[in-house]
Amino acid sequence: MTDLIASPAPAVRRTGRNRTLSLGRTVLGKIVSSLIVLLVVATVAFLLVRISGDPLALLLPPDATKEQADQLAAELGLNQSLFAQYVDYLGGLVQGDLGRSIFFDQPVVSLIGERLPATALLAVSSLVLSLLISLPAGILASVHRGRITDTIISGIVLIGQSTPAFWVGIVFILLFAVRLHALPAAGYGSVAHLVLPTFTLAIYSIAVVARVLRTSLAEELSADYIRTATAKGLTRSQVVIGHGLRNASLPVVTVVGLELGSLLGGAILTEQVFSWPGIGRLTVEAIANRDFPLVQGAVLFFALVFVVVNLLVDLSYTLLDPRVRLGR
Amino acid sequence: MRNLQPPLSRRRLLQAAAVGVPLLGLPTLLAGCGADSQAGTGRRIRVSQSVDPTTLDPQKQGGMTTMNVLINLFDTLTARDVHNELVPRLATSWTAVDDHHWRFVLRRGVTFHNGERFDAQTVKFSIERLLDPKTQSPIVELRYVTGVRVVDRYTVDFVLDQPDPVLPAKLSLFGGVMVPPKYLADAGDEKFAAAPVGTGPFRFESWKRGVSIRMRAYEQHWESRPGYDELEIQTIQNPASALAALQSDEVDLVTGLVPDAALQLEGYKGVRVSSFPGLRMSYLSLDTTDPAFSDVRVRRALNHAMDVPLLVKATLNGHGREVPTMIPRESFGFDPAIAPYSRDLDQARRLLAQAGHPDGLSTTLTASSTDATTAQAISGLLTKVGVQAKVSLLDPSTYSQRLTSDNRKALGPMYLASTTGWTLDGSSPVQSNVRTGRRQSRWTNPLADQLIDREENSIRPADRQKAFSSLQRLLSQEAPFVFLYQADTIVISNDRVRWTPNVIGHLALQSAVRDD
Repeated sequence: MTDLIASPAPAVRRTGRNRTLSLGRTVLGKIVSSLIVLLVVATVAFLLVRISGDPLALLLPPDATKEQADQLAAELGLNQSLFAQYVDYLGGLVQGDLGRSIFFDQPVVSLIGERLPATALLAVSSLVLSLLISLPAGILASVHRGRITDTIISGIVLIGQSTPAFWVGIVFILLFAVRLHALPAAGYGSVAHLVLPTFTLAIYSIAVVARVLRTSLAEELSADYIRTATAKGLTRSQVVIGHGLRNASLPVVTVVGLELGSLLGGAILTEQVFSWPGIGRLTVEAIANRDFPLVQGAVLFFALVFVVVNLLVDLSYTLLDPRVRLGR
Repeated sequence: MRNLQPPLSRRRLLQAAAVGVPLLGLPTLLAGCGADSQAGTGRRIRVSQSVDPTTLDPQKQGGMTTMNVLINLFDTLTARDVHNELVPRLATSWTAVDDHHWRFVLRRGVTFHNGERFDAQTVKFSIERLLDPKTQSPIVELRYVTGVRVVDRYTVDFVLDQPDPVLPAKLSLFGGVMVPPKYLADAGDEKFAAAPVGTGPFRFESWKRGVSIRMRAYEQHWESRPGYDELEIQTIQNPASALAALQSDEVDLVTGLVPDAALQLEGYKGVRVSSFPGLRMSYLSLDTTDPAFSDVRVRRALNHAMDVPLLVKATLNGHGREVPTMIPRESFGFDPAIAPYSRDLDQARRLLAQAGHPDGLSTTLTASSTDATTAQAISGLLTKVGVQAKVSLLDPSTYSQRLTSDNRKALGPMYLASTTGWTLDGSSPVQSNVRTGRRQSRWTNPLADQLIDREENSIRPADRQKAFSSLQRLLSQEAPFVFLYQADTIVISNDRVRWTPNVIGHLALQSAVRDD
């Protein structure tokens, strides 16, 4: 009976030991492939920023002499061959050293570390807010599929998904900061500062998660096992939440994971609009300053976030649904 | 039925963890966030500018936006007052002993924020730290200084390897900042850059990168304590956000905006938009080796065609002043007898025809994308005499890289540029733009070089002025540039805060006033 509900099409059962072993091998494989992805990202970032131009021009005042430029190039290692710089860079990476920011004259690791709390705070609060809204909205829409509730929710979702975040941000600023004087327009440092950027950033996630949940739950609710469960006399909410939602959760977990990845990756425009001192803004500054090590470090950081989130999403599949076997 | 209840499975645990972990983290993050925002006590002025300081070590940076912050924490040997006069600051008087020595008498009774005393040894230490290659200072103004000799406890001599008449002015900002020898020896460079100690009117309190830097009035400042207790300089990059912050009372004063942005605020109650004469000078640089621009008649034609007052009206909302040649009005060397080019479209067409372009000519005008509007307006004005200048916009960093590259043709035959000579001496714009062999000079004229050498190597003001006047006449005749304007400095504040910048426009906020 349990089988009927939790896994309608049970895969070939393995013994516990075998399963743990295969899971361990899968995780290891995933980690290795993640490391390869990171290496590729590091290499591409390294090459791309060097194509973009020379940072010296931006560091020295316009009337600096050639000698000063040469001296600075030597100090920054920019006079070495590309290959030597690359080897140097990878050598540092292995030891967890992302190099030193040219512009800020500080270790890249500490600069990213300094900005990480701001970005993490914004990402987490947006995600929490978006789940609080999108989960009930998605469930309501799918339960009332085709009816007026569904139409309203789906309409709002469509608007939310197609409205650019920076525009929402500007409208929020005009309304809540300039007109109503209710919330600060820019800056960082208190809960009040968090409100507008959180809502701005959450809107897209709300729309995406609600839409995916609605589709996937609606599909589950029309499945045979739901009818069976209903026939056994369970209440509507027991059926929907206890059975349908559990089975509909896979795509939702994927989407939530990806959303967290992009939120953590620095919602660049939102950080710009609200002068939020996160990693997204740091990256924009670094690009403008041709700060090679910092751009490389930031790109690598984003890649790392996505790789880790993906890994966690993949792993959660095996735990959430025994039908899923990774790496096969 | 019990069987139908889902057991506490791995998936449940995972779900709980996925929701719970971030929630657990949130209060800590919020708490960390809130602790930061503890308001200081006393009267506060909050100012915004668009860029964060790069470092708080004043000798390891060369940018005005960073200096805007540091000038409040540190003092310089000399200073520019609100009337643009060079005035004593940590030095009370100075004289040129001979061509290679400037003597400075120092102020007594000055202390650093940590109690350390300021004297001749401080000057020697500060200047020699700046000159030490190990410091990697990007500050170039003191390149003729070889060292500092202590004469007595409150007198020093600057030793130079060639005459530098502008030295006292060069000590009014970047090069003239005094740093504490003992604190630097004890704390080291890194700690100094994170928690700087100066003799300035404000002492450092905290810096949150990308957000704001806070300072408190230094009670023992030698001059006088500022009229308010706390100064906060916030970083708000986006002009619209900065204006919104002013309107929602999160900042008192917004700096660094173009007049265009100020237009948005016209008619708002409680907001004051003020405009002050500014130094930043814009011009078009012409490649005099380009087939079209090698002919002086074409270069003159462009100057006759360029309706600068109309340009100022259209792009700066009238907040700018025409400049006759390449020396700003407030700088030493400016000669009011030299008039700007007359607006004369017929004369421009005639000159172009004489130069072999009866139907006009086509060229490219390169500019940074931040100056897009101005470049397009200029292009429009030029079409009136048949000059078709195609506007080519570059992202700011590519633009500045090409501007300073050794390739003189990197920005094409004609580009829009601007310069700020904060020393308020004519030598700075002509040194980098006119003198042969400099990175931004694209015109070779032996007479101009002679005149520049003459003003630079003489310390007698009258001789220098004569050389500058001749140079400006030559520039006007030969027209290697299209001379444009000096843009005003715009200060936007609420009606409780007042501040008057001098022509350099740097944010020395000691003199700001809070009315309530």
